[in-house]
Amino acid sequence: MTIKECYEALGGDYDDVIGRLRSERLVQKFVLKFPADGSYALLLSSLEEGNTQEAFRAAHTIKGMCQNLSFTPLAKSSSALTEALRGGDLAAAVTLLPPVRADYEKTVEAIAAFEASLSL
Amino acid sequence: MQKGQTREKILIVDDSEMNRSILADMLMGEFDIVEAEDGEVALDILAKDADSFSLVLLDIVMPRKDGFEVLEEMKRTRLIEDLPVIMVSAETASAQIERAYGLGATDFIMRPFDAFIVHHRVLNTIFLYAKQRQLISIIEEQINEKEKDSNLMVDILSHIVEFRNGESGLHIRHVRIITEMLLRKFAHKAHYPLTEREISIIGMASALHDIGKICIDDKILNKPGKLTAEEYAIMKTHSMVGADMLGGLTAYQEDPLVRYAYQICRWHHERWDGRGYPDGLKGDEIPIPAQIVAMADVYDALTSERVYKPPFTHEKAKEMILAGECGAFNPVLLECLSDEFDLIRDELAKSSAEGFSGIEIRKFAEAVLLSKGDSLRGKSKASDRTLKLLDYERMKYNFYAELTEEIQFEYSFSEDILKLSARGARQFGVEQALSDPAGNLRLKEQLGEHWYEKFRKILTRTSPTSPEYRCECELPIGGEMRWYSFIMRGIWSDEVTPELESIIGKLVDINDTHVAMSELKEKSIRDPLTGLLNREGVWEELPQRLAAFPAHKYAVTIFDIDYFKSANDVYGHQFGDKVLCEVAERLVHSTRVHDLCARVGGDEFLIVFEYDGDIHPIIARVFKALCGKVEDFDLTVSMGIVEMTEKGQTYEELSHKADIALYVSKYAGKARYHFYDRSMGDDVAH
Repeated sequence: MTIKECYEALGGDYDDVIGRLRSERLVQKFVLKFPADGSYALLLSSLEEGNTQEAFRAAHTIKGMCQNLSFTPLAKSSSALTEALRGGDLAAAVTLLPPVRADYEKTVEAIAAFEASLSL
Repeated sequence: MQKGQTREKILIVDDSEMNRSILADMLMGEFDIVEAEDGEVALDILAKDADSFSLVLLDIVMPRKDGFEVLEEMKRTRLIEDLPVIMVSAETASAQIERAYGLGATDFIMRPFDAFIVHHRVLNTIFLYAKQRQLISIIEEQINEKEKDSNLMVDILSHIVEFRNGESGLHIRHVRIITEMLLRKFAHKAHYPLTEREISIIGMASALHDIGKICIDDKILNKPGKLTAEEYAIMKTHSMVGADMLGGLTAYQEDPLVRYAYQICRWHHERWDGRGYPDGLKGDEIPIPAQIVAMADVYDALTSERVYKPPFTHEKAKEMILAGECGAFNPVLLECLSDEFDLIRDELAKSSAEGFSGIEIRKFAEAVLLSKGDSLRGKSKASDRTLKLLDYERMKYNFYAELTEEIQFEYSFSEDILKLSARGARQFGVEQALSDPAGNLRLKEQLGEHWYEKFRKILTRTSPTSPEYRCECELPIGGEMRWYSFIMRGIWSDEVTPELESIIGKLVDINDTHVAMSELKEKSIRDPLTGLLNREGVWEELPQRLAAFPAHKYAVTIFDIDYFKSANDVYGHQFGDKVLCEVAERLVHSTRVHDLCARVGGDEFLIVFEYDGDIHPIIARVFKALCGKVEDFDLTVSMGIVEMTEKGQTYEELSHKADIALYVSKYAGKARYHFYDRSMGDDVAH
């Protein structure tokens, strides 16, 4: 699996990311780092605790990372969630969480498959 | 730049490790990177070592302290003025961006970012700030230099005044020390707003308090006994005179030094009770700087030795001032004196013990006063002498300028004013100072329509290393055409790229010598006996004639007098001379003005004919005219002629051929002429 195929699998925009970061090595490095980032776990736990502020920051970070890496679907869904949390709207946030979860899982799955193909 | 060859350091502040790492990866090739995971960590790092950073990349949304809080703190500590901050954020709301800029952020990079853009913005920002820092340090240096210069000038000036007063040189220093100490105290006590800089300027200005004394007769100034009422009245004028001197510096009225110095000069003899001079100002009407210098002046006068009194102790001086025995002062100022007394006394003692810290300046002032070699110590008349010397120089200059026939001039480019010496102006019939000289009609009449353009052209031939230009020219100055020697010199500025600022120079009438020289030259090319050109004359004149009419035909004729040697022998040399003169006269009469006639040897003559058509009848006529009796001597000539058949034939070549033809005539029996032709060959056959 190539990095480009990985992007296709997670619905990201490979041309955009390589246009900005200018190096396949860099893109690959950061893509592989993404699953290790704790923001998603933090988002889930702070939502459970009802801590919208912390949840906002976590969603915001996910949004930022996804924008940088051109993970388009997750960037979109996390962005919507971020705006809901910025306003402190917990009810809206709960309805916006499932798409984020779906996109996140799809993204992490694709990355895992890519990583597995590397070690072969 | 302050960090020399070391790499610039960047602080990246972002809570996402991945985001920091993306930025770090982009920049670590050229910069040293330090990372902070939130605003609080960032501020800790900056508090310890802000100077070592060249740039901060700052995220907005972060735990503990966010980007705005970091900016606010940096603004509060004014760190933001020296350390540029680029915001890096996914925030797109314009209110957020505006807030960041409002707090002093330099730039804003939107996420997702482009490596290329990040790289360039970072480089540009660092470069811009480095440049700004450099400029600031250059300006600071210049300001310091300027301040040092004016300090030095003020010191020199005030010491000149002081030496004339016969004072020790310490008075001015003491007044300054006391003034600055009292000012500081007063500002504090009376909540009078003064910056350290203003205090320093007023201190500097205090040194000028007595400059008006330069105009007071030193008989009064240094009189050992009590002044008469009349003398005292004259003495009192010094405050107003000093103020007028400063008031005359119209270009510098806004300068704080001049402004303070004016107040101090004019009002340092006013009294709080309104009984001082020159204006009788009362209480708060007297500007604070003048009040304080007045007290400092009195205090130091009391504690110093003067021609009319021994020094008092500091304690005694303080008592006298506080008791109102020596003037009347602002009560707050009196309190300041009491408060600061110990410090003032110690400071002055230190300054006196050290002697004079500005010892170089003092020496310089002395040197100025003693510059003409006379010892003037104490009761020096330095200022009078300086003025007299200047007057003397001016008189000397005018005297010489009047005596010589020279027209002296000065021209300044910035003012476009031509100044002429009195004699020069008279000769041209113009004013001594002319603005827009290029447009002056009288100058145009006498120097030619385009004299100014020519003048400018001449100037391009001068340079700082060779500023002089000389030439000779004939000009109708004053209506009569005469020869002048023109000498001028450019005055260039001292700057790195020198500019021509002005011109000085003169026109010297050299007509007589020029005429004499021409006459001499004329003589040198003429045969004194016959008045014809001599051999040198032909050399001198012929090329010009040939060049003047290159299209004309020329013939060179050489002839000599037959049996001239026997005429000399038989009738004597005087008769021989007579024959020569007769030949010359016949020659002149038979030729035209365009023909060139010369006596080129003892009895050998030369004619260069310039003609049209056929030369033969001309030669026949001239030959006939030359021959004929002189008294008993039967004068005939032998003649050789050569026609210039092609261009570029030289005079030597032609005269050589004419010579050959001449010899042909001689061998053929004299009293005849021959035209050169090729059959005669190239050699003169003897």
